[in-house]
Amino acid sequence: MIRARKLCKTYRVHRRPPGLLEALRSVVRRRYEEVRALCDVSFDIAPGERVGFLGPNGAGKTTALKILSGLLYPTSGSVTVGDFVPQDRRTEFLHMITLVMGQKQQLLWDLPPAETFAMNRALFDLPRDEADATQKELVDLLEIGPLIGKPTRQLSLGERMKCELVAALLHRPRVLFLDEPTIGLDVSMQARVRDFIRRYNESTGATVLLTSHYMEDVAALCPRVIVIDKGHLVYDGDLRTLARRIRPEKRITMHFSSLPAPGELDRLGNCVARSELQATLAVPAAQVTEAVRAALGRLPISDISVEDPPLEEIMQEFLGGQPANGGVRSA
Amino acid sequence: MNRLLRGEGLRTVRHVLRAYPALLRVGLADMFAYRAELVVWLLTMNMPLVMMALWTAVAKSGPVGRFGQREFVAYYLGMLLVRIITGSWLVWELTMEIRNGTLAPRLLRPIHPLWAHSAMQLAAVPLRAILVSPLVLVLYFTAGERLPLHEPARLAIVVAAIAGAWILLFLIMAIIGTLAAYVESALSIFDVWLGAQAVLSGYLVPLELLPPWVARTARYLPFRYILGFPVETLIGLESTTSALHDLGVQALFIAGSLVVTLALWRAALKRFAAFGG
Amino acid sequence: MRRLRHYARLLAVQMRTSLTLAVQYRFDFFLEGALALFWLAITLIPLLVVYSRRESVAGWSFPEALVVVGWFSVLKSVLDGGVTPSLNFVVEGVRKGTLDFVLLKPADAQFLVSTARFEPWRILDFLGSIAVLVYAFHRLGHAPRAGDLMVGLALFGVALILLYSLWILVVSVSFRVVKVDNLSYLFISIFDAGRWPIDVFKGALRLIFTVVFPLALMTTYPAQALLGKLTSAHALLAGTGGLAFAAIARFVWKRALRAYTSASS
Repeated sequence: MIRARKLCKTYRVHRRPPGLLEALRSVVRRRYEEVRALCDVSFDIAPGERVGFLGPNGAGKTTALKILSGLLYPTSGSVTVGDFVPQDRRTEFLHMITLVMGQKQQLLWDLPPAETFAMNRALFDLPRDEADATQKELVDLLEIGPLIGKPTRQLSLGERMKCELVAALLHRPRVLFLDEPTIGLDVSMQARVRDFIRRYNESTGATVLLTSHYMEDVAALCPRVIVIDKGHLVYDGDLRTLARRIRPEKRITMHFSSLPAPGELDRLGNCVARSELQATLAVPAAQVTEAVRAALGRLPISDISVEDPPLEEIMQEFLGGQPANGGVRSA
Repeated sequence: MNRLLRGEGLRTVRHVLRAYPALLRVGLADMFAYRAELVVWLLTMNMPLVMMALWTAVAKSGPVGRFGQREFVAYYLGMLLVRIITGSWLVWELTMEIRNGTLAPRLLRPIHPLWAHSAMQLAAVPLRAILVSPLVLVLYFTAGERLPLHEPARLAIVVAAIAGAWILLFLIMAIIGTLAAYVESALSIFDVWLGAQAVLSGYLVPLELLPPWVARTARYLPFRYILGFPVETLIGLESTTSALHDLGVQALFIAGSLVVTLALWRAALKRFAAFGG
Repeated sequence: MRRLRHYARLLAVQMRTSLTLAVQYRFDFFLEGALALFWLAITLIPLLVVYSRRESVAGWSFPEALVVVGWFSVLKSVLDGGVTPSLNFVVEGVRKGTLDFVLLKPADAQFLVSTARFEPWRILDFLGSIAVLVYAFHRLGHAPRAGDLMVGLALFGVALILLYSLWILVVSVSFRVVKVDNLSYLFISIFDAGRWPIDVFKGALRLIFTVVFPLALMTTYPAQALLGKLTSAHALLAGTGGLAFAAIARFVWKRALRAYTSASS
């Protein structure tokens, strides 16, 4: 469905250093800096896949989405989405895709979302009954029936995002580009948006590409992740596999009924969090059974659980420990 | 400024004086950052040139009142000069800050926002002066004998009049900008002001060419003291004594506007606080 | 044909949106409309002052000059009501990045941004300007001849094309310089000079207002046509000028769009 080969994108940015003297100097001579937002990025995405773009701020995720949706021209390399080159902005291509940006909205601010829906129906030249059916279906699924008649400016952030999704999906696109769709939403609203995207993907077979800060979003939604760091593709594959490779360890969290004897904990493994009656140990996956058995035998355990380490931490370690030249690791 | 009126004056003044150089520097850097805007804004001041073209065409067949072709050229060049030097963007900045709530952080600083704004706007004056220097040259070569180059008294009045015009316009803009706390359409109000100013300040047509009763009325309104008065004094249409008198009137208008500004600002702050911006 | 119907429907939807918006803020828009009438009055003042001193200026009598002013105001009402609102829409879109959404719609982007916003209340201003024109011809003592009226209307079309092309050029600039609030001010302030017959201007200004920012083609020539004074050479010049500007504008727009999409982030 999507095919990117050796994508590069370089911006020329005017550098304006602080200070009056520098400002004066830049009147005469502007200094430019080349910023490489993407460098030699290649990947293929099959129809119906849900793929997450991960990476720190400024890694090039948004740039990648914009190139894929045809808003930006790549400096070099090639992209095709379906059978189209996005930058041609062919009508058929535009009917096929959609872009949702968590930070920017297409809803008309002073008018109810229903007006934006009506406008998009006209823009995409959709037959009325078909568009009405889609709209009803999406509105029901997101439970926003009473909202679409209220002026957008009166809606909360989460309500607006739901309406954005309806506006973006009205023409039943087969490729969804979602740029931080859950940004700023509270946890339960994040979960609902996530859920909705998964259901849309499963019922229509649409391809979903998503960027997000929230590791949870990506973990819950995308079986496959593409990690971009400083413009380079550094990982492409399954998130759990990545997690296991970076941190082949488990977390054992224990609650105690009374204070354990000093020294006992350290003998079991590396203690990563500790309060009076609670401790969390990091233990290599292979030794978990043994460690649990030992803990139950030697410590005053009231409750014990075994978990994977948090994804945020893994990503931090992964990106922090990245070699500067950024060789591709694959699963 | 509020505190200044209430008698804690000296400390405030010293504080402002200490902070002012830094504020000016920031203002100047800001000015350079937006130099493209400044140039575009300068180009929007083309009305005096158009009026100059019109009136010189009219005066070809003989002078209009006291105005021959040379007087018209001098008048509109002077108009352009004073307009560019005394102009500021306060009203737009203020309405924007009030509307999108960026005024709030400014209020937290231990210096009156209008002081900070005055520094930002004042910092633009030297650059504006540099940009209009070619105009001064043209003015010198076309109407040098009308300029107060050998009359230190009149020269001093011109400088004072231009400074006064800057302050008066700044205060008027502060008043109208503050209204944004009350009404959505503060900028429309300013539009009306600009329209009235175009006619009653002598910007479009020298006041003495308007019907006499309009010209008389204009002397009792603030508009003339923003543009017409400095220009008339600059190109010698007004005698030194009457210019001195007008300088006093200008000072009165400044004092009045200052009182209105401070009162309105305080009232607006209460409202701003009540609505949380 | 289907394409045409599609765009007709799009135009209808865009206008409906603007109308709905206008009704929401009817006080503001009414105020703006009233302000426009106020400005029309201000426009007339210098004209009245000048003609209180002289019978004719640069070969134009008072009623003739009034025809130019009326014509200028008609164009200005179209500019304020149909062109400037869309310009502001684009500028805001560039700044906020929401223009991306427009570019992702399967319709011509130039068409979409050009029709994005209207201010229906400007019709007040339009009617006021027509009243000025009618009064001018009343003072002249005769209505324009049918043939002259036809040429005048044709030139009105040309003037609209010119206005629109200039506007597209301004928008194209806005893609490059993001902070362009002042550009629309500049546009309007230069346009203001169009209220005077071109014969008033000499030298550089005249050249600028004929070729670079063709105010002469927009106001003086159509007025001359209505007055029956336009030579066919000038009419032809106006027509070609309009088409040339339209072509240039479309070309620059395409280039700017391409630059925009390859430079923004």
